Amino acid sequence: MKRSLIIFLVAAMVLATTALWFFTSTPKLNFMDNLHFFIIILIVGFAVFVGYKRLTNARRGEPTEDELSKKVLQKTAAWSYYISLYLWVGVIFINDRVEIDTEVLIGSGILAMALVFAICWLVFNFRGIRNE
Amino acid sequence: MNNKIKEYRARHDLTQDDLAKKVNVRRETIVFLEKNKYNPSLKLAHDIARVFGVAIEEIFIFDTE
Repeated sequence: MKRSLIIFLVAAMVLATTALWFFTSTPKLNFMDNLHFFIIILIVGFAVFVGYKRLTNARRGEPTEDELSKKVLQKTAAWSYYISLYLWVGVIFINDRVEIDTEVLIGSGILAMALVFAICWLVFNFRGIRNE
Repeated sequence: MNNKIKEYRARHDLTQDDLAKKVNVRRETIVFLEKNKYNPSLKLAHDIARVFGVAIEEIFIFDTE
């Protein structure tokens, strides 16, 4: 219950700071800004979904975490780390060929890492972990 | 590994929710177990067998192939 509330709190804070950035930064957002904004919304949506699932489990009197959810999280962490290594190799490859601001590049890399984590979690959570 | 959880659950007139609460896991875990999409830990297999009052090998069938 406590962790679910923390998830909602963090999601709300991310949304608030994103809204602040969206309304106070450059008058016209470019393609990369819009892409970042879209990915942040996706990740916040994912966090809200996870928080809601935990909350409904708690309301039903079930544990918010069990051995399957822990294994899903472990496998997600392992896979997203592995994929992220290649992602950063890709980022370096792009950086050598296209001129992009360092902040934009690092920000994009971090957002992509978060997106990879969310996608991996969704895949393992809905597909299950069999014969391992 | 296959299992007969669904069959035993029906015999004992238990819902997935009931079984989940008895073995202290989420309902989704029981759903994945019944669909053979997850192999439980020895502890969970033991807990499930104990709920039905049978040995583990009567519910969980190990495929040697």
